[in-house]
Amino acid sequence: MLESLWIHVLNGLYYGSILFMIASGMTIIFGVLGILNLAHGELYALGAFCTFSIVGFLAGQVASPTGPVTAIIFGLVVLAGSLAAAAVLLPIGGALEATFVRPIYDRDEVYQLLLTYGLLLVLTDVMKVGWGPSPIDVGVYSGINEIPTTELVGISYPSYNVLVILVGVAVFAWLIWFFDRTKTGRIVRATAINREMSTAIGISTDRMFTLVFAIGAFFAGFGGAMVSIGPGSASLGMGLDWLVLSFVVIVIGGLGSLKGAFVGALMVGISSRVATAYYSPLELAAPFLLMVLVLLVRPEGLYGTWGEIE
Amino acid sequence: MTTGPIAGTDLDGIDRRTLLKTVGGSALAVALAGCTELLQGEDDSLEDADVPDEPIESGLQTFTEGAPAVLGVQAQYGAETAVRRINENGGIAGREMNLDVVEEGGAYLVNYQQFVDEGKDVTFGPISSSGHAEMVPEIEEQGVVNVSTDGTVTTLYEEDFPDVTYSFRFQNHDVMEALAAVNQAVEVLGADEIDTYAGINPGYAFGQDEMELFSQGIEQLTGAEQVHSGFPDLGTDDMSTHITEINGEEPDVVFSSCWGGDATLLLEQGHANGMFDNIELLVGTVLYGSANDMSADLVDGPIYSGSRNFYWGEPSIDRWSPAAELVDEVQSEYGVVPTAHFMSGYGAVTAWATAAEKAVGLLGRWPEQEEIATILENHGFFTPAGYHTIGPDHQGYSNAHFGELTWSDERDAAALADVNVFSAESVSPPPGETSGDWIGSW
Repeated sequence: MLESLWIHVLNGLYYGSILFMIASGMTIIFGVLGILNLAHGELYALGAFCTFSIVGFLAGQVASPTGPVTAIIFGLVVLAGSLAAAAVLLPIGGALEATFVRPIYDRDEVYQLLLTYGLLLVLTDVMKVGWGPSPIDVGVYSGINEIPTTELVGISYPSYNVLVILVGVAVFAWLIWFFDRTKTGRIVRATAINREMSTAIGISTDRMFTLVFAIGAFFAGFGGAMVSIGPGSASLGMGLDWLVLSFVVIVIGGLGSLKGAFVGALMVGISSRVATAYYSPLELAAPFLLMVLVLLVRPEGLYGTWGEIE
Repeated sequence: MTTGPIAGTDLDGIDRRTLLKTVGGSALAVALAGCTELLQGEDDSLEDADVPDEPIESGLQTFTEGAPAVLGVQAQYGAETAVRRINENGGIAGREMNLDVVEEGGAYLVNYQQFVDEGKDVTFGPISSSGHAEMVPEIEEQGVVNVSTDGTVTTLYEEDFPDVTYSFRFQNHDVMEALAAVNQAVEVLGADEIDTYAGINPGYAFGQDEMELFSQGIEQLTGAEQVHSGFPDLGTDDMSTHITEINGEEPDVVFSSCWGGDATLLLEQGHANGMFDNIELLVGTVLYGSANDMSADLVDGPIYSGSRNFYWGEPSIDRWSPAAELVDEVQSEYGVVPTAHFMSGYGAVTAWATAAEKAVGLLGRWPEQEEIATILENHGFFTPAGYHTIGPDHQGYSNAHFGELTWSDERDAAALADVNVFSAESVSPPPGETSGDWIGSW
């Protein structure tokens, strides 16, 4: 029973890590640009589809894992392919911001929602044209799991899940480092806090906003890559559930808070996995119940900020 | 309860005259059965019928995109193949057939109403059980015959809509495959060896219906206790919680009606988490629907899967030439192997087409909707999957299959081995009795 509980917690960390990667992109975009991006789930899906093509191609260039050395090579190739697939989202995100989002920053929120919903539909059709209407699977998951199964304090657990948890922590650490320690990150934060002042001291807010949107799209795409090379497949419509859950996460964590998104994602992941184990009908409701509870206690979310990356 | 094929499902033991008599003797019926060569030289009694010249307009709603497209596109291929064969063989009583295909996702009623507004002569679909339940009152109101490809919840025609006129269903309903899974589990392990069972099923009407029927059946036959039952959302991204629970409980049998991407996810995460080391048997009713998406490593283990009435290896393509020809045709045309859901589309069109032509033969003119509906009740017909009937209760009936999931290098797709064939009578209640009452009476 206790062993099962620990595995449920690990399952929750795995699920929460993917959720964080997706929600972090939404948090960055909302925190800096003030845009609630309804197309974010489709950027995630686009990352999954790109992964099918890029990882599928790269994995075909190396042998499947048969021993420790080939396993490491195979794993590195898949990881590099996932990063490359997510990197495709950088120029796409930048172009979307510069072309469609930039003209409506000063418009009412309803225009932003309509625009990003329109982008959602367009991106769906783009993926349909590019990869067809049916689900597609990279098919490398079993290969990755052949990299020796991890033994965590006596618990046998899928190696891929451990990899995703570690990647999730690395993404969080990188984002904190970027926004706290780098000049570009600090400029982004300063721009988010006071656009007029930033412009007055010579910062190109247009360039900053494009960069932020591109980074947000990258992490959405990277979340899609993690799902796609894992046990899931890439399919049209796959972004909807994650879009809704990402909203739940950033509301729980506090709008615009990276730390909040990380904690919120792990809370949603763990609570939903554990709750499902003990009362299965809660599987869908658990994240929303958690959100209601948090909002009752802290209406601004756990680390609530507004219009500022923290 | 396991039986051999019912009479007439194989060329062995059935002569040409019997087959022609069974299928109604028309060129169309024989062509759709996949036995065109059998009819050479036969007279066609439909030539003098008063039939309009214009083509028959039909509409199919199915899942054409997204995760459910794994089943839906197969149904589309099936319907298109049937229509192609109809037109290549001179149409239905001389009338060619056109087929419009639309995405069903969440728009069941709108799609049906639009088809009716466009003047469609017949409509087919949907795949979804909940969508089918939504549509039945509207179909009865509009009076244009609909043959559902799937939408197989058992209670639909048994309890919710026991007296309908225009609404039909081609595919075998849930009780038939759930009980086939029960019988398969008992045959593999033995009733005395099954003490516990668990389930992972899709979290909507279909999955709940299948799990309830499986539970009733296996508890009646073995007295087994349920130790876990999970209903992840359809199209879920993670089943690890349910698999972890199963690993903790170590049940003898796991039952799953997961399909599409959920089926491959279950197998992927099941293997990665060692589930197949902790259970004796996984029986999955529609795992096989994902045959084109599986890989050889996924089907490794004590995994048994069923098929409502057809998959590319059963009826055996070594012995039953219509099935072999269909598999070759579908692989050549679409690059996939046909699954049971291919037959959902093929069979729904075939049921209506053969009934319509039979009505023309009887009436000497093109029939009204109500007349076709009357013919469809108690209508029997062949497809490459064998013999099917539409019962007086508007349900589809044919043999169900279950076998060990394996891999075919020849076709590069999942296959079934050591197949058991379950006759409709052995896995569904007699007319007038509900499945729950029938199972309870065992």
